[in-house]
Amino acid sequence: MKNIFFFLLFLSTTLILAQDEMPKANLPEGLGISNQLKYSNDINTDREIFENWLNLDYTYGIFTTGIRFDIFQPVNFSTNWSGAKERYSDIGFKYIKAELGEADAGMELTVGNYYALFGRGMVLKSYEDRNLREDNNLQGVKIKARYHNLTVTALSGMPENKSGDRTDILHAADFEYRIMKDLKTGFSLASNQKQGQIKSTTTLYAFRVQPSLPFGDVYVEYGIKKDEDEKQENFAGKESITGKAFYGNLNMYEEGFSLSSEYKYYDNFSFTTGNGSVSYNTPPATRKDYTYLLLNRHTVSLDAANENGYLIEGSYQYAEGSSLLISYGLTNTLPAWSLYQRSVRKDAPAPAGLKTFTQMREVYSQIAHHFNDNLTITGIFGYNEESKDSTKNITPIIDCKYYLDEINTFRLIIEHQYTTERKTGETFYTDAVLIEYLRSPSFSVSLLSELETKEPTKGNMVRKMWNMVQFGYQIGEHTDLNLLFGSRQAGTICIGGVCRYEPEFSGVELKMMTRF
Amino acid sequence: MKHLVIACMVLFATATIIFAQDPAALTGRKAPDFKLEDIDGNIVGLKSSLGKGPVLISFWATWCKPCMEEMVEIQKIYDEFNPKGLTLFAVSTDNEKSAAKVKPLVKSKKYTFTVLLDPNSDAARKYYAQAIPFTALIDKNGTIVYTHMGYKKGDEITLRKKLNALLP
Repeated sequence: MKNIFFFLLFLSTTLILAQDEMPKANLPEGLGISNQLKYSNDINTDREIFENWLNLDYTYGIFTTGIRFDIFQPVNFSTNWSGAKERYSDIGFKYIKAELGEADAGMELTVGNYYALFGRGMVLKSYEDRNLREDNNLQGVKIKARYHNLTVTALSGMPENKSGDRTDILHAADFEYRIMKDLKTGFSLASNQKQGQIKSTTTLYAFRVQPSLPFGDVYVEYGIKKDEDEKQENFAGKESITGKAFYGNLNMYEEGFSLSSEYKYYDNFSFTTGNGSVSYNTPPATRKDYTYLLLNRHTVSLDAANENGYLIEGSYQYAEGSSLLISYGLTNTLPAWSLYQRSVRKDAPAPAGLKTFTQMREVYSQIAHHFNDNLTITGIFGYNEESKDSTKNITPIIDCKYYLDEINTFRLIIEHQYTTERKTGETFYTDAVLIEYLRSPSFSVSLLSELETKEPTKGNMVRKMWNMVQFGYQIGEHTDLNLLFGSRQAGTICIGGVCRYEPEFSGVELKMMTRF
Repeated sequence: MKHLVIACMVLFATATIIFAQDPAALTGRKAPDFKLEDIDGNIVGLKSSLGKGPVLISFWATWCKPCMEEMVEIQKIYDEFNPKGLTLFAVSTDNEKSAAKVKPLVKSKKYTFTVLLDPNSDAARKYYAQAIPFTALIDKNGTIVYTHMGYKKGDEITLRKKLNALLP
């Protein structure tokens, strides 16, 4: 209760004082500051969570340096953030970078912490995503050089694992060459030196081609993995290639019409540190990212070791502001003869009955119709089957957006999801309603209600409801505040196949993002 | 725990209150340079666009609903202000998983401004685009004069005012 009072006091004070005349301040040239704060208090579990990221960057000529000061109380143990400490406050990211030359011929040298992406992440993706609580930054040296049609990236660095140590060493390089205007090729390699092991390294190689055709574009990448430990332990020394991956993408477009198709085959291609706590690669998931609440409720994360599938998506803009979109995706596990299945059973004969199964099947269709300058209605139909919770889900959604005038918008989203648990045959449904009012440039308020209806035994209807109110306010041009109070159902945040589970919550949550 | 929370909040509330008073009070930050590929594979650097006129950078992604709403207005702004000297970069922060959808979307929506690809959010990180859509307006001297996060109908009015102040 004290905390709720404190937050209301804090918010009111901020808003009131923000209106008064105060002295001007100027940042020194070249200095940049940003801060992201999240505080939540769950009244049911009496659990407080405080997370804060403060970035300071300074640029002088060709040099840039910066730090990120992180605070996590308590630490989220499901991620590799901030090691194994119960409470964490430390500099989580620090770097010095020098940039020389121009866009067509130049070089960047980074010493300290950095992120890197090769191609579409099949071999290496080091990145930060605060929504997913993912941060697999590397600490070491990175050089990126560009000379006309050739770009070379070379790096050597150590990721932080869940115990908070940086022990494994990654060496990696990527070469990208534009042979002609419409044809680009690339080659990546990365090698992980595991802690305490001198001889055995895990090495990935991948080659990619990107031609542009008159009707569209193509991206094709093929990779192999070599690991002496795996070879000896899982394949009795018989396989020198212990993992394979293929990803292909064809895009076509013509006058308001577009078609995107992706195919993937990832066989034992996950690339991690020796103890498995940090992933170096996240190849394309070929899954659709959803912004609607219930479409994210039942999903499966990407598994770069054991996946095969495709995603096809077509869209057509039939009038200004009005469009049709249809997408179909399928992800299966790999068959018994795959490297992954063989490595799991240590190359023993496949047991009878070992079959591939569908991890995820998803159908999504959407029609957005722009009725007039003020009203747009979007109708959505989603269907998916997933193997994690073994459910199939039918989800119709209607999304109405109405511009009251030049600066005021009203929005109503109604979602319904009918779920069948395939193992037990139990069915239940969930309804969610979002009512939102937005006033440009600084204010928004929304109410989100969710109702779950189950019938565990015949005639015994059980209903559970969650309600949450969210206020958004922009202070000046530098700070955005979000205050939520109420309750919300447990859910999953998924971005590109990487998912984070958010437990059920009831209480107050404050988010503040500031940048200067 | 509680003391730390309070200390941090007081610190940032104070900073916010001071800096929030006058939007023009904190416009000293020089626009960080970036070099990104456009959707046709050409490398585009910010530095070469500075000095000629204002530069508008809009960070967006194909999966982001308010971004799609904003892009319609961004196209209108581009049509109106580009002849007067505005350079516009729409920087897609779609990661490698959704990068395949950027070019088909741009072609189907017939956007005519320059769309750049930032699949690992390197440029977004430099601009502190903590959420998208995120807009940064840079004057011809290379100074960030306006930033805005999110999109609501009517935000383009403020942006137009800022652009009119920068352009003759």
